[in-house]
Amino acid sequence: MINLAARDIEHSLGKFIVTTMGVGMLLGIVFIMIGVYRGMIVEAEILLNDISADLWIVQEDTLGPFAESSRVHEDLKNIIYVMKGIDKSEAMTFQNIQLPSKKKPVRVVAVGYDIYGTINPINPDRLIQGRELKNDHYEIVVTDKTGFKLHDEIKLGRNFYKVVGITTKTVSNNGDPLVYLSLKDAQELQFLYSNKEIQNNVARGVVNSESLMVNTIVARVKNGFSIDEVAEDIRKWQHKSVYTAQDQKDILTKNLIEKSSKQIGLFTVILIIVSTIIIALIIYTMTLEKMKEIAIMKLMGLPNSLIISMIVKETLLLGIFAFVFGNIFSHITYDKFPKLVVLQIPDAWALFGIILVASVLASFVGVKKVISADPAAAIGG
Amino acid sequence: MNNQSAIKVKNLVKNFGKDDNLVRVIENASFEIQKGEVVALIAPSGAGKTTLLMMIGCVIEPTSGEIWLGDNMVYKNKWLAKDTRRIRREKIGFIFQAHYLIPFLNVLENITLLPQANNVSPKDAQKKAFELLEYFEIADKAYNMSSQLSGGQNQRVAIARALANNPEIILADEPTAALDGERAVSVIKMLKKIAVEQNVAIITVTHDDRILPYCDRIMKIENRGIVFHDKDAKGIL
Repeated sequence: MINLAARDIEHSLGKFIVTTMGVGMLLGIVFIMIGVYRGMIVEAEILLNDISADLWIVQEDTLGPFAESSRVHEDLKNIIYVMKGIDKSEAMTFQNIQLPSKKKPVRVVAVGYDIYGTINPINPDRLIQGRELKNDHYEIVVTDKTGFKLHDEIKLGRNFYKVVGITTKTVSNNGDPLVYLSLKDAQELQFLYSNKEIQNNVARGVVNSESLMVNTIVARVKNGFSIDEVAEDIRKWQHKSVYTAQDQKDILTKNLIEKSSKQIGLFTVILIIVSTIIIALIIYTMTLEKMKEIAIMKLMGLPNSLIISMIVKETLLLGIFAFVFGNIFSHITYDKFPKLVVLQIPDAWALFGIILVASVLASFVGVKKVISADPAAAIGG
Repeated sequence: MNNQSAIKVKNLVKNFGKDDNLVRVIENASFEIQKGEVVALIAPSGAGKTTLLMMIGCVIEPTSGEIWLGDNMVYKNKWLAKDTRRIRREKIGFIFQAHYLIPFLNVLENITLLPQANNVSPKDAQKKAFELLEYFEIADKAYNMSSQLSGGQNQRVAIARALANNPEIILADEPTAALDGERAVSVIKMLKKIAVEQNVAIITVTHDDRILPYCDRIMKIENRGIVFHDKDAKGIL
């Protein structure tokens, strides 16, 4: 049997391609929106995975260090280290800073860590140029997205820092690039007041001891020990809030990006509905343009099933080609977005299924028009 | 029923609307058309020519009466067949004022579409289509689109399409209206030849007095009824 849908598309191929590209771009945006959501989850977990700590010990009754501000003493790491079941423990700081740049300041999250310590937040696989920090002062490792090059000098606070290493794909949970400083430099940046402020505080009788504070102690548990039991011991004896790696992931994904993900989810649903309506309108218009031919076919006696299959096939082909184009579009553009976009195959298949269902639904308007077409309209004036 | 009878209509009535808005279009029309006959259907505009054609073509349902197509009674105060479209597909060929070929199909596909819907194999449908195209001397245009053909060629393709399912009846709605004099005569001669050679009954609606001499009979709607005139009668249009 002649494939009427294929012939019709072939006859108006240019129009079909342009329409498909338009719908495809819309579907591409839907795919990218899903990718942004996936990217948020991946970004939220990059730092956690690179540090790979079993326990996060923070100021009591806080959700620190990412969801809430947290301050603990640096030497807490030694107390934690000697507790039963602890293999390694280190102090770390996390703070938002702006790196001065020729174009415009770059907002980053600075990770401060003990360069002689046993837990290193820099993942060697992500270090693409230079080296890790080797000196206690005035060195910085930056992410490639900051735009700085190896050996650049960056002024932070009172001092200049030399770029000694470049990492890639290292971002914080909110998508800001990461930079790495020695713990001492990071403490200075975060906690040390200016000389005048210190003089003022001394005059008031306030002694500045905050330069020995950090935001969290991270620890790894020895094999054979229960992470939950060790965490409970620390809570009980040290009066600190303690989160396992999974707790910290939950805080980041549920507490911090939940609203964003809901927003993206809603946008995605709206875009899918809009796409369905647009496909339906296109099919309706395409059917209207063929009403004379449809009336002739009905008058000649062609069964409705044959004409309806033409409409449904055209809608499905429109949906399928739009999906393919949307995929190509999203793969070409996804890395141009400022935030991480993660395009996953299961998401693509899910979107494909949704598009097929949406196309079938959209074809109903054309099918309804076919069924109601009057064969008598083909004859006479 | 006579074995040579292709169409028989008895006491056919068609009204539109009801009560105060009742419009009587056809009243107690009765006639019979034999196989191999070409009958011209004439009447002033709005007199019900197309309505009568559509009733015979099982497109518009009459109000009452009887319609026979060949040996089968298809209407007696209601359609007797569940699927009137099947009757059209198997027994009737339509020719329109304009060619109305499906623009996204080529000539060959336009002609083979209906036979294939009747479960004729694509191979057999194409064989028949080429026979028809050769008969109409346009076989070289088989793979052309209708937009690449002249008006006369398109009309010949439309006639070939109407014949592709070996119909017993051809209903033509002003098939020569869009053609110049020479082509119009050529088309009606062609229809006459088909009627004789293939034993097909043809009813053609027309306002064109050039084609009347080629018809066997002239059927006119007068006062909502059917009156037959001699084909050589003057001034009947």
